[in-house]
Order: sequence, then C-alpha cells, then structure tokens
Amino acid sequence: MAIPDIYTEGIASGWKVIDASTLTAPQTLEADVAIIGSGAGGGVAAEILSLAGLKVLLLEEGPLKTSDSFKDMDEARAYRDLYQEAAARATSDGAIAVMQGRAVGGSTTVNWTSSFRTPAPTLKFWASDREVVGHGVDEMKPWFEKMEERLGVAPGVVPPNANNSVLTRGCDALGWEAHVIPRNVKGCWNTGYCGFGCPVNAKQSMLVSTIPVALQNGATLVHRLRVQQLQYADGKITGAVGEARGKDGRTATGVALTIKAKHFIAAGGSINTPALLLRSALPDPHKILGKRTFIHPVVLTVAEMPEQIDPFYGAPQSVASDHFQWKDGATGPMGYKLEVPPIFPGIGSGVFNNFGEPLRKEMAALPHTNAVLALLRDGFVAQSEGGSVRLAADGSPMLDYDLSDYVWDGARRAYLSMAELQFAAGAQRVRPAHLDGSYVSSWNEAKRAIAELPMKKFRTTLFTAHLMGGCGMSENPTRGVVNSRGRHHQIGNLSVFDGSVFPTSIGANPQLSIYGLTAQNASALVKDLGR
Amino acid sequence: MKTASKFVAREDLSGLARRDFLKVGLGFSVALSVAGALGGCSESAKAPAQGLAFLQAGDVALFSAIAPAIIDDLAKLDAGQRNARVADLLRNLDSTCSALGMASQQELRKLLDLLAMAPLRYVLAGVGAWNEASVETLQAFLARWRGSRFATLNAGGNVLVKLTAASYYVLPVSWPAAGYPGPLSHVFNTLHS
Repeated sequence: MAIPDIYTEGIASGWKVIDASTLTAPQTLEADVAIIGSGAGGGVAAEILSLAGLKVLLLEEGPLKTSDSFKDMDEARAYRDLYQEAAARATSDGAIAVMQGRAVGGSTTVNWTSSFRTPAPTLKFWASDREVVGHGVDEMKPWFEKMEERLGVAPGVVPPNANNSVLTRGCDALGWEAHVIPRNVKGCWNTGYCGFGCPVNAKQSMLVSTIPVALQNGATLVHRLRVQQLQYADGKITGAVGEARGKDGRTATGVALTIKAKHFIAAGGSINTPALLLRSALPDPHKILGKRTFIHPVVLTVAEMPEQIDPFYGAPQSVASDHFQWKDGATGPMGYKLEVPPIFPGIGSGVFNNFGEPLRKEMAALPHTNAVLALLRDGFVAQSEGGSVRLAADGSPMLDYDLSDYVWDGARRAYLSMAELQFAAGAQRVRPAHLDGSYVSSWNEAKRAIAELPMKKFRTTLFTAHLMGGCGMSENPTRGVVNSRGRHHQIGNLSVFDGSVFPTSIGANPQLSIYGLTAQNASALVKDLGR
Repeated sequence: MKTASKFVAREDLSGLARRDFLKVGLGFSVALSVAGALGGCSESAKAPAQGLAFLQAGDVALFSAIAPAIIDDLAKLDAGQRNARVADLLRNLDSTCSALGMASQQELRKLLDLLAMAPLRYVLAGVGAWNEASVETLQAFLARWRGSRFATLNAGGNVLVKLTAASYYVLPVSWPAAGYPGPLSHVFNTLHS
C-alpha cells in the first residue's frame, strides 16, 4: 500500500520548491517575508503569513526528505539525512550529545510527537522575572487551542507500549503523578519510527501540515540552502546571502543566492539562529546574543525488565511524570520531568556506552530493556544560566554548556527517582547511564550506589534534544535580544520565531510552546505589516 | 607488542594529564605539542583514505583494531566476515565524522593524530602497532582512559567507543545480536507491498 507522497503530488501541481543543490548560477529571490528555517517556528509562520496574502520565501539548510524516503524505517539513514551533524552534534567540549533536526520541517520531522502547552509556572516566571508581556496563561490559551486543533494534538489514542507502561506502573506503585502525553498525530499507526521521519505522514510535523499549506498559498521553499549572513545597514536588514549546499546537504557548491525581502524572520532554532545573528555581526549592545541557551540536560537510567519491552516499537512517548517538576516551585532545587525514550540499536549502544562483553550482554538484553530519562529544567535560578553559542572559524556554531553544582544535584536526584521508579515497576536490575554506573538489583543498593557517583562531565552520559534560548525575549533590551512579540530590539524588520526566544527552558518538550508562541507572534506581525 | 597489555600508561608523567583542570580540547592540543617535541610525524598532513572522506589511513588502522575490542561479536567472526563488517562500520563512521561541524572535526582530528603517533600512543595508550595489539591490550587501553581521573582521557575513550559502537549497531547485520527484528514488519510490508 503506497502512502501518497505529499510533495511529489504538490510539486506536480505547481508548488514552488527549489533544491538549491541543482542551481548552477547565482540568483536573486524576492519576497515580502523571508523565513530562515523551516522547523516549528518557521513552518507555523510560513502558513500564517502566506494565508494573510504575503509573499513568503522559506529557506532551509537541510534537504527536503519526504515519506517516500522514510519508508525504509532505518536508523542510519535518518541520522545521516535528518539530523544536525548526522546526529553527532555535541556541545563544544563533546560532553553533551545534541539531537536536533536538520531537514525541511526541522526537528518536527524527527521528534517523538510529545505536545505540551508551556507549563503555567514557566509562563508566570517569564512575566515576573524576565519582563515578558502578553504570554500569560490566559493569553496563550487560545493560541495553544488553535495549534492543537491545527495539528491534531490530543492525548494518546493508542495504549502505551511496554516501555512507557514501565513509567505508568512505577508511578502508580509509588503514588507519583503521571499523565498521558498529548501527541500531534492524525491516524497514527503506532509504529515507533517518529524519530526517523514518519513513514505514513501521521505525525503532524511542519513537513506535512503548515508547509504544504504555505506552498498551496504561493510560498516558495528553497532547501539545501544555508543562509550565511543577514546584511545590515541603517537599522534594518537589507538582504540575506545564502550558499547552496550539494546533494550531500553539507558541501558548498559555490552558488550564492541573494535574498531580498521587506521583513526577515530568523527561525533556525536555538544554536543556529543565534549563530546566524552572530555571523551577521548584528547590533548586540548588551552582549546577550547567544547567552542563556538552555537544553533540558537529560540523564538516564536503564533497567532490565522481566517482561518483553521491545523499546523500539510503538508510539515512543505516551506517558510522563511531573512529580518532581514543580514540587519546590519554579526556583527551588532543580525540577525535572520524567519520560521514556525509544531505544533502537544504534542510539542504544550510545546510551550503554560500554564495550566488550558488557556491551554485548546489554545489547542482547535490549528487548527487555527500559530506559527512563529526566529532562532537567534549566534557566530558573542564578546557578543555572544555561550555555552560550559562539562561532567556529568557518562561522559554524558551537555551544558551550557547563553544569553547576545546582544542576548536578538535580541530575543525582533524577537518577534516584528513575531507579526507584524502575524498581517499583518490577525491574530486575538498574544502572545509571554513567561510566561508574554498575547494575544493582534493589532500590536500597541503588540509593547507596547513586549517592557515591562522581557527577562529572564525561563520566555522566548527558543528552539534549531540546534547544531553547540564546535570543531570549524580554521587554527590557538589556535582558532580551527580542521583545515579547519576537521583534528584534535594535532592528526594525527582523523577528525571531523559534525556540531561541524562550527566556528559560520550558520544563516540557518544547514543540507546542514554539507553535503557540509563533502563531500568536506571527499573527501580530501580519497586523504590523498592514495585512 | 603483545606484552603491552601489562604496560600501565603513566598518565601522570604526560603533558596531557598534568593538570586535571585542563579543558578537554586544550588537553589534546597540549599532547600534540608534546608529540611534536618528541619528533612525531608532523609532516604527514594526510589525505583521507581511499573511498573515505574524513578518516585517514592511520585512523582506519585504529578503528579496525579497536572495533573487535568494542564489539565482542566481531572478535568471534572469521577474518573475511569480520573485515566485511568492519568495512561497513567504517563507512558509517566516516560519514558521521564528515557531517560534524568544523570545531568537532578539529577536536576529533587532534585525538586521532595523537593516537597515530607511535611514541605518544605507547606512553598514553599502552599500544604499539594497531594491527599487532591484542583485544585485551586494546580493552585495557579503553578501560584505562575511561577510568582515568582526567576528563580529557574520559572524553577520548568515550568518543572512540560510542562512534564505533553506534556505527556498528545501525548495521542490519548487527540486529540479531541486539534482539531487534528490524523495521516493524507488518507496517514495513504494507508500505512496500
């Protein structure tokens, strides 16, 4: 049964889609609005602006890959084609693995569909502590409702798989809060391959939802085009310079594109948007560009369960626990959200980070393996100011991120919570994903072992899949690169619509936060532009 | 160099590890300058190995040697099967390295250059010629680096293990050993029918 490929049909019907790798001569493209980046922010903005009658140019560094190329359901192909640096991106010192999308649709093409509204304590903190206006709980509600409706966001329609059931069972046994995760899917086949590009177009990523509507409404999509620089003069952006990438998506072909537009929207996501603004040497009078970049540092514990888990099959994330997220308020000891990751063999070997016989045994036990992860909520206290984006010699971004004692304390408590949960759910043995983490067979043993773990970079396995901040919003120009509506404080015709505007981390998987905020701010921009 | 497994690298004596507050990247830079002083083969600004984009001949020797030390199953195969799988592993690993940003590539290059220099490799890793080192010697090297109190060595040990393991376990031939039956069959079959 063939799944209709939206783009094959759309392009045949006249959609304007340019693969920059095929260009042989320089070109100039003009539009009302140029959007740089086609992920959660760029996709939503493209739809809203093109529906308002604006001529939109959507520029994406990654390739256009569609359901036809996802039907191999293959981990290696996905990392190579759809992730930043082939899924081997890391912080500048190599201590934290960064999983971030790089394709048309951005990270929405590869995320695991978890769709949470921005938690109320986060929105309240932004208003009270970061001088953000217009994004309170009541003000955001209609925008989240609009995007939930648009993208089919609803609590899971399929029962949790065995991997997620471990979390439910553990929380139930311990009396901990747990909740069903709303997911942005329509007609989900419950396969588990969300991270490799949904092969059946069920996930309502930007790739299959907003971008097709923008294209139907006259937008132009250019992919395999890296926007190298925004040109700045007299308080405004006068143009942008793009460099075509070859078929591999990475090698420059030497063909340059000039972009002219009345308004520019940076939507490359955290890391890439601050890097674009840094490369462009835009005004940054308070030296805050790229600072306060947040990542929800992730630590994990792995458990061997008596029952079959098959952690690769079934909707990857369907339940979560906020039991430890807000119990000390927004600004107490670090809070964290507990979730479950899918584990395929490739990424599983990275989580195990072992060799020889121990790795062979852990890999062989994969069908009985459950992992729990903690998303540490960074950015709410002075001891958690996040990381900082800077540029390598060739202008590519680097992220420096250090972990303070405050963060390490959160990570250790998270290890304890996760091990307790897994034993409560019936685990036979558990170990933290840590170089010094040995398997233990009881919660009492785990408590002792985790208390003694050296919490250090490179000993602690650290991941992030949530990049936030770096172009934070605030009404106060000394504290924010953009204002609450995403408008750059110093540049009239530049907006930032992506996760980089978040003044802190979200405290939940961020995609719906980006959708809702962008829908609100892009709608305001439509009015500002006189539509 | 089969006796090298008994050799304990004296990391305290090395310029690399003298101070544990060294930043990781800087650590390898320092080690490389030490290597230069020792007369390392600095003239060999080498090209990628044939058919590869990032890995050089010395890197291929390194990863071909450590692959069976990391992936137990490879050590048990006959040479023909092992070489075929290692070749596939290397292609994956090379394509990952090629996709890295410039800064990450430079850090990785420092590590690989360091390990390509025989005197420094012997001092820091306790390994002589890659193709003569036993699995036990190589596992001792990885264990020592990862067990070190120096973050630089932990980082190096981690990246060698993770790159190699992930490049192997994305290969379909590895999946039976991971209990992964492959793409969910009823969906895969439906999509390809």
